[in-house]
Amino acid sequence: MHAEHIKHDFEPKIVAFVCTWCTYAGADLAGTSRMQYPSNVRVLKFPCTGRIDPVFILRAFQKGADGVLVSGCHPGDCHYMAGNFHARRRFAAFRALLSFVGVDLNRLQFSWVSAAEGGKWVDVVTELTERVRTMGPMPEFKELEHEEQWSTFAGASVDKSTVLNSPELKEAYDSIG
Amino acid sequence: MNAKANKNQVTSIEPAYYQAITEAIRKEAVQILKDETVVGVVGYLPGRRKGTASPALVTTVEEAEKLIFSPACVNNLSVYLTKAKKGVLKQGKVGIVAKGCDMRALAGLMTESQLQREDLFIIGVVCPGVYGFGVERTGTLTEANIARKCRECTVHMPEGSDVAAGTHTELADLTPEEAEEMARIEAMPQAERWAFWKEHFSRCIRCMACRQVCPFCYCEQCLCDKNRPQAVESSPRPAGNMAWHLVRAMHLAGRCGGCAECERVCPMDIPLNLLNRRMAQELKELYDFEAGLTPVEKGPLNEYKENDDQSFIK
Repeated sequence: MHAEHIKHDFEPKIVAFVCTWCTYAGADLAGTSRMQYPSNVRVLKFPCTGRIDPVFILRAFQKGADGVLVSGCHPGDCHYMAGNFHARRRFAAFRALLSFVGVDLNRLQFSWVSAAEGGKWVDVVTELTERVRTMGPMPEFKELEHEEQWSTFAGASVDKSTVLNSPELKEAYDSIG
Repeated sequence: MNAKANKNQVTSIEPAYYQAITEAIRKEAVQILKDETVVGVVGYLPGRRKGTASPALVTTVEEAEKLIFSPACVNNLSVYLTKAKKGVLKQGKVGIVAKGCDMRALAGLMTESQLQREDLFIIGVVCPGVYGFGVERTGTLTEANIARKCRECTVHMPEGSDVAAGTHTELADLTPEEAEEMARIEAMPQAERWAFWKEHFSRCIRCMACRQVCPFCYCEQCLCDKNRPQAVESSPRPAGNMAWHLVRAMHLAGRCGGCAECERVCPMDIPLNLLNRRMAQELKELYDFEAGLTPVEKGPLNEYKENDDQSFIK
């Protein structure tokens, strides 16, 4: 009873940072229960959501993720008592920062999925995957990764008269030949 | 007693005002050095060029008599007491000249157990503002040459200091430039915001001046210097620059005292204080936290409430 496989033009890469005690077990439950969910998600296991540094999310985006999911225990259920409470505050602040620098927050999803919620895991992953699929690839961070400080000057297609905006720069560039 | 009610609003602040503060600082510094309350005073000495000032640690009465306060005293001196600048506090109690914004940094460092209140003698300055960057230094502070951060200053009175020098005076009718700029960025479409910051960050040369000057960047090893594994690329390329500035803003969230030293020292004129202010604004809205003049038990990101907002979490 496999769901029919639909061929899509774009398969987003989703990175999921999950806590080992709840969401990882929940995803495991989804697997052992033979529930179907998009294979776009790459699960990375952490001890706790409190261990997930915002820099991991940045790095995921830089290395080619189109969407990121962070998921852990429900509030009050943390194996380490308060890890998810701290994570909740940290990510609330981090979201504001990302939004301020112009990152679309629809690509970043947070969720609480307990070890018993295989179905919720499937819903969360499916929804995020489909949402990111309609949004298309995330170019912002990937472009940065391939850019050099002076890359605007190197491209042959670039009109140098507009880019080289000072006489000194123009002279220096011309002298390189 | 309401300090706001009897404050003095003027159109320019004359050198005489700073001279009065200078006298008060000298008197106090000489006194505490004489009776050996402190082993040294961190303050400002006149710079070599006219109209400048440079931070200094004075340990003798003769030197203390040369201390000054002028609109050129822009530095946040609390950075000299941190772990990153080893040494000053090892010998005993230290006096420090602190403006309102510097006192917020001191309070933050006390919150984080980096400083003890009893190790400090704080000579608070009722600061009407300091010079901005690249302005004419005439000795008189006016609307034209005041720093951007001082336009929206809420801590003219250094409450909680051991002594305070000066009387409450501030410039009238200052436009809140930073708040306006922040509102302008907030109102941009998402792609434009990204382009705005990308342009600014791509200029970064990763000189790390913003880190060196920050009182809160006292980590012995910075996450951004680590290379196994490397979290943030260390060469000045756009990817690493963006990551560095986001990590910096994130690590200062809920701690930054708003002295805007990072922005002042930035050789590439990146408006770093906007990021800090945005984070401060968010933490104020979400958790009602504001960096204050007195230490608190815990910063906003080191504590939690069971009923914190989680509308963004599924």
